[in-house]
Amino acid sequence: MGKFIVISKGTEMLRIPPERLVYISADGNYSDVHTLDGRPQMVSYQLGQLEDMISDQLGDEGSSFIRLGRGYIVNMEYVHLIDISQKRLVLSDCECFYQELEPSREVLVKLKAYLDATYSDD
Amino acid sequence: MPLTAMTDKKNEIHDDEFRVIGKPGVTTAPESGKWNLVWIILAIVAAIGILLVVFWPKTKAESQETAVSATQFDLEPLGVTNDRTFTERIDTLVGTVQLAVYLPHNATPVLTADVPSGSDIILAARAADVRADNGKINEAFVCEGRALAFGMSKKGYCAILGGEVTIGVAADSPLFEEAVESGGYFFRQYPLVDNGTLVENEPKNKTMRRAICSRAGQIFIAVSETDESFHDFAQALVEFGVENAIYLTGGHASGGWWVGPDGTSRPFDPKARTGIYENETYILWK
Repeated sequence: MGKFIVISKGTEMLRIPPERLVYISADGNYSDVHTLDGRPQMVSYQLGQLEDMISDQLGDEGSSFIRLGRGYIVNMEYVHLIDISQKRLVLSDCECFYQELEPSREVLVKLKAYLDATYSDD
Repeated sequence: MPLTAMTDKKNEIHDDEFRVIGKPGVTTAPESGKWNLVWIILAIVAAIGILLVVFWPKTKAESQETAVSATQFDLEPLGVTNDRTFTERIDTLVGTVQLAVYLPHNATPVLTADVPSGSDIILAARAADVRADNGKINEAFVCEGRALAFGMSKKGYCAILGGEVTIGVAADSPLFEEAVESGGYFFRQYPLVDNGTLVENEPKNKTMRRAICSRAGQIFIAVSETDESFHDFAQALVEFGVENAIYLTGGHASGGWWVGPDGTSRPFDPKARTGIYENETYILWK
């Protein structure tokens, strides 16, 4: 069986193949988990707690996930467009999934610099 | 792991912070920590500066002059070398301000007091402010030696004499009279950068900002691609190495365009309105 991110609490369990998890957005004490099927699931964990779970469960493989400020955990594989001037981050699989986020401009500057460095290393 | 044990060191993150999950080392330090270090360094530098002022005043003055000169001459010219007449656009990110720099090549600058037209224009931007109530030009304005307005409340000026652009800050500049006597051009606007130093201005709103700038002997127009305050825009210009800059009428209600190397004319702001006042003043290169 492939690896899953398992988010379990009380009577509920959510299992997600990591490569199909696009992003997680914070909603107070809750979080919305967005997957490629376009059906967000609310879970009763804070973003920081989910960050811990991803790190614990995936180890080094969790490095495709990034925490962007207080608002988001994003799967870098789906970063499609960074537009610092318009403060836009578009996540897309260039097929079915398309979502625009609005993190802070500063965090977009840092994300772009990180990805630039990553691809120039390649 | 019990839920209570997982609180919330991880939620101690700033909105401008970024970190890679699974790679604990890859993170951006919280701004507060960085600023603490900056303040400590600034305090040490200030203390050394005070000691130098007290005990060695001549050396301080000499070293300041050397520093300014070194900064000016270390700057590389922008853009390409070319004998064609066109405007080169250079995009750059200074801090969080995205700047578009429009550098005219092999063209001569002039002012007009109306909306310009002509296929020979390669760069045009509104220059002096015009009053909304009566359509008159606000500040001192000279066009081909004719003085059309005389206001002096804005301290920044731009003079074009013999095709050479001079940008500066002065309450009363003799270049106004020189422009009148020599058939040149002159206008006034908000000063933004004076000899590499930011100049503060009263308006605090944010909008698309424009400026005419001098840097390492080159003259260009800088446009903010995002809505910015006067302060943040001027700060970005300083960090970009601009030595002198004054504002150009900006906002999303201002026209202006540039012609790239492919000969295509493009507006600074595709949504801008033009021709809304009786008199519009433009600086243009052709």
